[in-house]
Amino acid sequence: MTGRAPHEPGKHTPSHDEGQVPSPRGPGHEQEPAYGARAHGTGPEVPGPDGDQAPGPVHIGRGTHEPGQRLPALAAMAVLAAACAIGLVLTWMYASGIVRAYAWPALLASALGVITYLVGLFIFRRIRPVRAPRLTVAVPATVWGILAATGVAAYANTGMGGLWGQILGYETAGDWTAALTAPLNEEILKLAGVVVIAVAFPRALRGPVDGFVLGALVGLGFEVAENFLYALNSISLSGALAPATSVTDSTVVRVVLTGLGSHWAMTAIAGTAVGVLAAVDWRPGPRRALGALGLVLLAMLGHFFFDSPLLGEGLVGIAAKVAFVFLSAMAVYFLVRHTHRSRVRKSLAQQGSELGMRRSDAKKLASRHGRNKALARVARPERPDVRRRQEKMVEEAEDRAARHAVS
Amino acid sequence: MAEATERGTGVRRPRSNWVPLAAATGAVVLLGAGWPLLDAATPSSQELSSGHTVDVNSGGDYAASLDLPQDGWNVDTTRTMADQQYVLTRGPVELDLTSVVPPQDTDATPENLWAGMETTSRVHDASARLGRPESTDTQDGTEGLVGDLHTQGRTERAAVFPAPDGTFAVEMTLGGEDATEADLAAVEDVVEAVSFEHRGES
Repeated sequence: MTGRAPHEPGKHTPSHDEGQVPSPRGPGHEQEPAYGARAHGTGPEVPGPDGDQAPGPVHIGRGTHEPGQRLPALAAMAVLAAACAIGLVLTWMYASGIVRAYAWPALLASALGVITYLVGLFIFRRIRPVRAPRLTVAVPATVWGILAATGVAAYANTGMGGLWGQILGYETAGDWTAALTAPLNEEILKLAGVVVIAVAFPRALRGPVDGFVLGALVGLGFEVAENFLYALNSISLSGALAPATSVTDSTVVRVVLTGLGSHWAMTAIAGTAVGVLAAVDWRPGPRRALGALGLVLLAMLGHFFFDSPLLGEGLVGIAAKVAFVFLSAMAVYFLVRHTHRSRVRKSLAQQGSELGMRRSDAKKLASRHGRNKALARVARPERPDVRRRQEKMVEEAEDRAARHAVS
Repeated sequence: MAEATERGTGVRRPRSNWVPLAAATGAVVLLGAGWPLLDAATPSSQELSSGHTVDVNSGGDYAASLDLPQDGWNVDTTRTMADQQYVLTRGPVELDLTSVVPPQDTDATPENLWAGMETTSRVHDASARLGRPESTDTQDGTEGLVGDLHTQGRTERAAVFPAPDGTFAVEMTLGGEDATEADLAAVEDVVEAVSFEHRGES
């Protein structure tokens, strides 16, 4: 199978609709080498099929695939659908009895889950710098977390937990099984979802910042499903004396008290590793491979610490665990965000100068606020055109940022 | 890394997207099937020695434990989660023991806990119902309720004992798919073998 060669301008032949950044200097300007002339990688510029080194048009199209990506993408979508269907069956087998026994509390837990999901979806799409990921990518990422990862994890954890019970004895296993099971099973199952999304939607996951955001979305889905199951289990563990109270208490604790440092944060850290690898077409050098491995291990370590009996079950212990995971995620986030924004702003400045824009005005297009402000300054009838131009510039800037990630 | 680089240029050739997809799919299959199969292939019970005390849970001023009155009990290590739920077996007999912590401000009387237990028993069998309970005492004098549990065409035994300060309770069912009435009668006293010790006492 041919390897993918993303963002290699010469290999992409979009239709007219995909277009190019309109230039006040005229169409000839669009052929200037500055537009994505560098091939993927840091090496010499690779001529296009036409033998020139002119840049290809800006990739505005959605769902475009480079050669070698289409079949794996279709296969990844099939894997996504199959894994979610299997996860749904497994989750139903695991939880149907409890849902049937606690039907009304299950509705309450579902309602709380929907609220958590919608708020999380809004936040995690919004935190991506420059542009939010498309819903058509963000939603499947969460669905993997809700169905595939949760359903498989329920059985994997039970199986592995039984082995720990044999090895450690049931008393020690009671304290340590969660910490020795979930970080491995759940982090890998969620991470697998980020990888599948990366292959299914290769243009949606091209660098560390995409990995962070899509990881957070997979983690959000897992968290929502787990909150639902924990809420219903809490009814049994509280003697079914006040099912609605048990559901509400469980959800509040898991969202408000520990939510900051839970699955979204762990998978965001691990997902960043997928972005690191996807940016170099899954063939990292030793430094990058070690960095990616370090991120996955950091996510697992956070999960281990979170689930372990270390520091006890008091508020201070819980706060320390939440802080460790959350601050780790924030450190990763601000690093990848800063890097991505810098690259996009640099590219926008470059494009702006080519288009005769002021450098500072062009850089401001890197933020949603900057783009809206620029739009507000033009006459209403011109706004659709200006918005399209902005989108093209930003698209191109992100293409360049993704290409720059390998340098 | 000769295979990974374009000859002479130092540029890494991209790896096919099939590779990460295969790795992700393989990981899901391996974890989802591997652990359960491995667990099924290995023993999942541990024998409890004669006179073994199971520390059930603690809360408030009390700690609950179960002093097994007979030999031959085993703990199911796959289904047991210490401090929450224990599954003990002895031949065809199965003792499910759950530690429940009532929400604050609820009236955790034995009668209310009994009614709640009927609800929780329906998780495994939608038609399960509890019979009329009778008052009983544990060996240390803690009051509770005991009665029949009708489930899946069988009659099992159920019992509930709240801790003296009401902070938690121990619920038990004694049954087993293949257990006869004689099997259950032989170990019936196990449900009253739970005791609540005031913490600070030794």
